[in-house]
Amino acid sequence: MPDTDSLVRLSDVHLSFGETPVLKGIDINVRQGEAVSIIGPSGSGKSTILRCITGLLRPQQGGIHVGDVDVQALRRERDLIALRKRVGFVFQQYNLFPHMSVLENLVAAPIKVGGVPRGVARDRARALLARVHMEHKTDAYPGELSGGQQQRVAIARALALEPELILFDEVTSALDPEMVGEVLTVIRDLVDDGMTCVLVTHEMRFAEEVSDTVYFTEAGRIVESGRPDQLFGAPRSERTRAFLQRAAGGAPARRRADPFDALLSFDPLRLAV
Amino acid sequence: MANDTTLKLGRAGQAPGARTRVRGVLRGVWRDPWFIVLLLLAVPALYLRVSGTTPVAVERLWYWWPALMRGLGMNVQISLLAMAMGTLLGLVVGAISLSPLAPLRASTRAYVLVFRNAPILVLVYFTTYVFPFEVPVAHWVLPFPDWIKVVIGLALPASANVAEIFRGAVQSIPAAQWEAAHSLGFARTQIFRTVILPQCLRRMLPPWMNLYASITMSTALASLVGVHDLVDTATVASNTVARTDFTILIYFTLLALFFAYCYPISRLTRYLERRHARH
Amino acid sequence: MTHSLLEGWVAFARPLGLNYAFVLDAGERAAFVHGLWVTLQLCAASIPVSLLFGVLIAAGLTSGRAWLTRPLAAFVELTRNTPTLVQLYCAFLVLNMLISQKLEGGNPITPFMWVVLVVSLHKAVFHAEALRAGIEAVPGVTLEAARSLAFSRVEILWRVQLPLALRFALPALVNNLVDLVKMTAIASAIAVGDVTYESIMIWSQRDNVLELLLLILLYFGLLTWLVSVAGRWLESRLRMPGYGQ
Repeated sequence: MPDTDSLVRLSDVHLSFGETPVLKGIDINVRQGEAVSIIGPSGSGKSTILRCITGLLRPQQGGIHVGDVDVQALRRERDLIALRKRVGFVFQQYNLFPHMSVLENLVAAPIKVGGVPRGVARDRARALLARVHMEHKTDAYPGELSGGQQQRVAIARALALEPELILFDEVTSALDPEMVGEVLTVIRDLVDDGMTCVLVTHEMRFAEEVSDTVYFTEAGRIVESGRPDQLFGAPRSERTRAFLQRAAGGAPARRRADPFDALLSFDPLRLAV
Repeated sequence: MANDTTLKLGRAGQAPGARTRVRGVLRGVWRDPWFIVLLLLAVPALYLRVSGTTPVAVERLWYWWPALMRGLGMNVQISLLAMAMGTLLGLVVGAISLSPLAPLRASTRAYVLVFRNAPILVLVYFTTYVFPFEVPVAHWVLPFPDWIKVVIGLALPASANVAEIFRGAVQSIPAAQWEAAHSLGFARTQIFRTVILPQCLRRMLPPWMNLYASITMSTALASLVGVHDLVDTATVASNTVARTDFTILIYFTLLALFFAYCYPISRLTRYLERRHARH
Repeated sequence: MTHSLLEGWVAFARPLGLNYAFVLDAGERAAFVHGLWVTLQLCAASIPVSLLFGVLIAAGLTSGRAWLTRPLAAFVELTRNTPTLVQLYCAFLVLNMLISQKLEGGNPITPFMWVVLVVSLHKAVFHAEALRAGIEAVPGVTLEAARSLAFSRVEILWRVQLPLALRFALPALVNNLVDLVKMTAIASAIAVGDVTYESIMIWSQRDNVLELLLLILLYFGLLTWLVSVAGRWLESRLRMPGYGQ
């Protein structure tokens, strides 16, 4: 039964680079206003999934829908451009255009692609920069900013086209630890404001705190998915457990499966679903 | 729209053995488009020779071929000597340019500046016309042939470039290696000999080979000062035979001969650059 | 006034063993000055033409279309591995002659134009290599970021790829232009009246080779210095703060 407020839907997506299969049957469903995290070991295809959603990569098989647009059916550049105005994307590094200032980075797309007049674009850009606490750096160049500052500007830039959802591809993985927090704060604010977000991340605690659904991928397949307290607290699959153990640095999984947990997490309202 | 990204699969294991490498190079040569072109040119040429039905222009070309080869030999000779002299001189200048004494460094910088900003043609004219045509040494009078003057004329800019290549290679070694060697108790000259120079030589090889190719091409300028090189021989032949089709043929043969000599050097250089980059 | 300056110079140089008497002869002086002017014109014409061809060849090489890249790559290899002098002879002695024969005496292409064409094309190949390296140095993720911002391919090329490639390639391009200035000296080989050719004419009469070569070296030194200065100014104008130096 089609989910009417589903914003992103991947059905049985298979993708190979040449001879090498990378995605082997991915099913993902993201509802409007939801925050979804995708976790998993390196090389499991997480970043590839994000790139498929926005049409940067094309799977050989499977369906991808953003709203009611079938991404696989898009052939003309014009249609892909229309799609990308609705889907924001923030990368791990080298996001920003180094030859433009922060303000110029933010207004470039709205003016060129969105047809917004320059004055309006600049005002909106300044407001967005204030939202990510970077309003004091409008004339700085990316090379003069720290990694955390650059990522916050990159998030503001993705918001400049007023997208319906934003994809985050391991945006804190390349940052020094002390700068991770400032970027996560911005993302948390976005989620609280109701923006639909898909995060690929290694920050387990953040994923648990902020997500509505978590997907665990390994070797191109989705091993397990569910609510964060289920996946992190009582993982059903042995592989999920093993991954979480490794990710936590060898310590045992955060909460051991306890028969009483099943009673405590009993939610009478969910029985009706 | 196909996927733009390609997965780079690392090649596990060590470098292949020598015999596999030679076989690989030979196989690569067979597939090289330029090699195929040269082969395709040689086949009809041989056929025409053997069958005796050659057009006049080609026949004249065969007649002049030995002279052309001698001319090419002259170019190669000049290039080899100029590179040898230039490399020795350049290494000395390069070593001086790294000296801790400021006036020595300044003088080498002036040397490099002068010889890299001067047109090679002007330098060749300089050595050809300014040096005497005979040199009295003790009792004898040695002739100072033009081609040796061209060698010197080319060796000077070559040395300036070698000095820069050397300096660049030394400075590209990370400072951390100097520090590590110092902390192990090595003296400055020891560090140079055992740590820096072996690495430098490998780094210097591709740009040095590029320089050799460039010097070889500059030997064509020798024809302008009267040396009987390949270009001069071709010009003489063209004027002697005085046929349009022969002129066209010989000048393009000139192009092909230089290409046949320089292109393999260029390919070898790129192969060495790729091998160095992997380390 | 100028005449007394020139006389002063000749008098100053004589005790050094240098014979600059030719500057006092109106005809020879005019010829030399004309040579200076022609060299300047050769440089002024070749620099933009070589850059234009360089951009075109680089665009063709990175276009990904085999019918464009293969012949261009062949042309690049041929030009890089043969001497400029030989290329000039092939162009002038062969192509020019054929064109003259075809047009029966109305050949519009002057030797000056042939020199500009050959030298520009030769250097354009090196420009194209530098630009191609610059284009490939643009991080793939930056281009992906531009695509994800809904820029079209043309916009990405024009607003992101080319500006960054130019900044990366600028030092190599300036070096190439310095080489190009030096290369214009081969114009003398086909009797185009540049400073080298005029000097040869003068020294074959007066035998003051050293003196003229010193002047030529100074002149080329001046021209290459001007090109380097312009290059450095451009580099500072296009500098990306926080990137590299």
